[in-house]
Amino acid sequence: MPSRSIDLPQGTLDLLILRTLSLEPLHGWAVSERIQQISSDVLRVQQGSLYPALHRLERRGWIKARWGTSENNRKAKFYELTKAGRRQLEIEQDAWQKLTTAVSQILEIT
Amino acid sequence: MFLQDLLFRLRALFRHPAVENELDDELRFHLEQQTAKYMKSGMSEAEAARRARLEFGGLDQIKDGCREARGVSLIESLVQDLRYSARTLLHSPAFTASAVLTLALGIGANTAIFSVVNQVLLNPLPYPNPEELLTARQNDALPNLKDLQHQTNSFVSSGGVNISPMDFAGNGEPVRVHAAWVDGGLFATLGVQPMQGRWISAAEDVKGGPRNVVVSYSFWRDFLGADPHVLGRAIRLSDNSFTVIGVMPRNFSLPRELADVYLALWVGYPEAAPERVVHFMHTYWRLKPGVQLAQAQADITRADRRLAEAFPDPERERNTVLIPLHEFLVGNVRPALLVLFGAVGLVLLIACANFAMLLMARAVTRQRELMIRASLGARNGRLIRQRLTESTLLSLVGGAAGLLAAKAGTTLLLALKPAELRHWTAIPMDGRVFAFVFAISLLTGLLFGLLPAWSASRGDLAEALRENARTTATGVSRSPLRSFLVTAELALALVLLAGAGLLIKGFLRLRSVNPGFNPANVITMYLQLPGTRYPKIPMQNNFRRELLARINASPGVQAAMITDLPLAGNDVDHRVVIEGQQPPAVGTEPLVQTLSVMGNYFGVMQIPVRLGRDFTELDREGQPRAVIVNETFVRQLLPGQDPIGSRINWARNDDPNAWMTIVGVAGDVKHFGLNQPVDPAVYEPFSQNDEAWRKWMTLVIRTKLPQAAVVEDVKKQVWSMDSQIPVSAIQSMDDLLAVSVAEQRFNMLLLVCFAALAVALAGVGIYGMVAYRVNQRTHEIGVYIALGAQRRDVLRLVMKDGVRLALLGIVLGLAGATALTRVMVSLLFEVKPTDPATLLGVALLLAAIALLACYIPARRALSIHPVTALRCE
Repeated sequence: MPSRSIDLPQGTLDLLILRTLSLEPLHGWAVSERIQQISSDVLRVQQGSLYPALHRLERRGWIKARWGTSENNRKAKFYELTKAGRRQLEIEQDAWQKLTTAVSQILEIT
Repeated sequence: MFLQDLLFRLRALFRHPAVENELDDELRFHLEQQTAKYMKSGMSEAEAARRARLEFGGLDQIKDGCREARGVSLIESLVQDLRYSARTLLHSPAFTASAVLTLALGIGANTAIFSVVNQVLLNPLPYPNPEELLTARQNDALPNLKDLQHQTNSFVSSGGVNISPMDFAGNGEPVRVHAAWVDGGLFATLGVQPMQGRWISAAEDVKGGPRNVVVSYSFWRDFLGADPHVLGRAIRLSDNSFTVIGVMPRNFSLPRELADVYLALWVGYPEAAPERVVHFMHTYWRLKPGVQLAQAQADITRADRRLAEAFPDPERERNTVLIPLHEFLVGNVRPALLVLFGAVGLVLLIACANFAMLLMARAVTRQRELMIRASLGARNGRLIRQRLTESTLLSLVGGAAGLLAAKAGTTLLLALKPAELRHWTAIPMDGRVFAFVFAISLLTGLLFGLLPAWSASRGDLAEALRENARTTATGVSRSPLRSFLVTAELALALVLLAGAGLLIKGFLRLRSVNPGFNPANVITMYLQLPGTRYPKIPMQNNFRRELLARINASPGVQAAMITDLPLAGNDVDHRVVIEGQQPPAVGTEPLVQTLSVMGNYFGVMQIPVRLGRDFTELDREGQPRAVIVNETFVRQLLPGQDPIGSRINWARNDDPNAWMTIVGVAGDVKHFGLNQPVDPAVYEPFSQNDEAWRKWMTLVIRTKLPQAAVVEDVKKQVWSMDSQIPVSAIQSMDDLLAVSVAEQRFNMLLLVCFAALAVALAGVGIYGMVAYRVNQRTHEIGVYIALGAQRRDVLRLVMKDGVRLALLGIVLGLAGATALTRVMVSLLFEVKPTDPATLLGVALLLAAIALLACYIPARRALSIHPVTALRCE
């Protein structure tokens, strides 16, 4: 596997899941595939944290799950963003922007 | 938001199987998708599946993570663990039964003793605001009590009571009842209202007051037919008619006395009421709120001093000491109860050690299962939690079984109870007892479950696995925890055994004390002549003489009588002066027991007359007064003097004819108990006594005839002379002797039971350890035997560890025993708490038992056949 892939920093997995699901409802496997694709294989999601994260977000009411049929006609659990989830996504995106701006400012000091 | 969260959790909890299935489906779907993806990129199906699974990681771990994320994992996994534990425990009934039984014994014994401690030491007395109640160590007289009441201001109220027998002639045989002669303040002090009617008022407690009586609940029920209209009814007590004015509630009893009827002292015994000298009332005092004991004591001491100045003759030595009532009642039993509670705590520790060892052995037999679960990704914490659930489940079941055992145990305790506990007719299990059982069960399960679980997670398990795989040739299981537990068990067992041994030795010493008389084949009975029909001494003595003559006329019966029997707990004391000796200051003359006898008392009781002569028929009315004293009297009051012919008199007796000549010296008699010192005593013939108030007598009858027949005959003789006189307190001298040592017997029996339990548990513990090791080393032993080892070599091999640990435990136990048995000092009679013979004896006994416990499983090693052992490989 590509050596350039990096593990996700703590706390960013929730944000990525919310963002991914804001485009369309997906099942767990697709969420992990999508994150990997969009980040050009840089970000890899550990299944060991993906599913607990999905269940945690569901419990908080930011995403909700329903059983549907997958593209290959299998029963699969699809997650979609709720209204509360959308609000949360905005908050987290905002916070992330601020954080990265601040971090890059510090890094760019010469 | 909160509601949603709650619904979500509840769904997870109650729709548990559905949620679990969904999780399975979801994760399986993921794996399939991943596998399909790899197959698309050209891998074989097997390769793709393998790769996907590898990437996915531990399935159990992810599931745990999801459950935790759903926020129900704690309860959910607890339910899961419980279900799993219950299932696995039911699959190994032998293990479950031995664990539950072990704990039930330990917890049951603790609960039984705790119930007693709770009831006796912790529960308050059954009076309102019991912490305000005090009693005086000394008895007092009614006029003194009244004076103290007037001259102190620390008390809300106070009262006194004296218990005396009265005869109740209802229907059928006359019976002797316990009458409480009280002063009016008593019930205000105790603060209990009658169930019916009213209490005796202060206005009735005067000279010539009305003949009113308050009856106890049981008297009302048993003798008055629970008559609902009993108030105003007349009853006959000792030849007088009394009007019932009240009935006390069922659960009421006086603090230290048993009473059937209550009447004013002025009414019941007007002769004694105004006498200062007659100190025969127990007194009770209720503190004013906020007043401290020390203040009250100072207050009463001041009043005492004033009384002593006002009445120097009888009251010179006044020294009333107040003490909290609860302390007074339980002070004597507290040390014994605490020692027993400590002892039973040690039993529980031993039971817990066995429990822990059982759990460890089980962990080893279940290692495959644990290994598989661990390799499936179950985290260590989760495995420990599972095992804790199992041990806690076991200990709670053990606790419940223990509660049942304790219920039976307290019934047994009550049957054995010593006199000090007689007020507690039942030992109820209240909330505190249940809380105690629950707490120790939970603690036992968690603590002693954690110990092996923790030790297993730290490598004992790994060692056990390795051992079982026989990868190491010398794979000797020397689990340090197990060794520690066995050593500790034996040490604790030795401490208990030492305690029990000391109590046994003390008890045997006590029983071997010579009471001063021969108790075998002696029956005793108590009679009291009613003052109304026998007011004068000659009438009383005619009755006595006639009764003795009639009884002695039957063949095979030898009868005599005395006022107060040894070991019956009563006596009358007089101050005495001796002719020719400088009389001490008034009020400080020596006190001596004064006993009146009739008939051949010393002969019947087989009390030796050491010097001089016994009483004869001639020592009677009109003759010079003769007395016999005991050896202690001579030793203390006539040192270096020939007692025979010396003359004595009661202090301040001005009658010149009252001087009494000592005609004999009788052997000492243990009047107050085998462990009590002997007081100086004076015996005088009833026929020469000039105190008409000595209306009572105890018959002593030596006979080999059946007791019941003799008692019937005596009753017939008494009632043919006077049908109104009750015959009571019918008991053999042997029984009296047994009752007098009942408390020591109680302590000894209980501690012996606990020690036996402890030794049995420790024996099982060491047996289990050796058996386990023999099992583990079957292969090695087989090889050893194949190489030509002799029986003794094999035995030495397998017993070595056990014996070494046992000896270590015994040595540590000896050290512990010398330190701990000190707390028993007050329970021991003439035995030092470090009695070397006892300690050595119990150490040898325990060593022998430990050796046996090692030998039995070791013998099995001898029967190992080398070929079979090797084939196991």
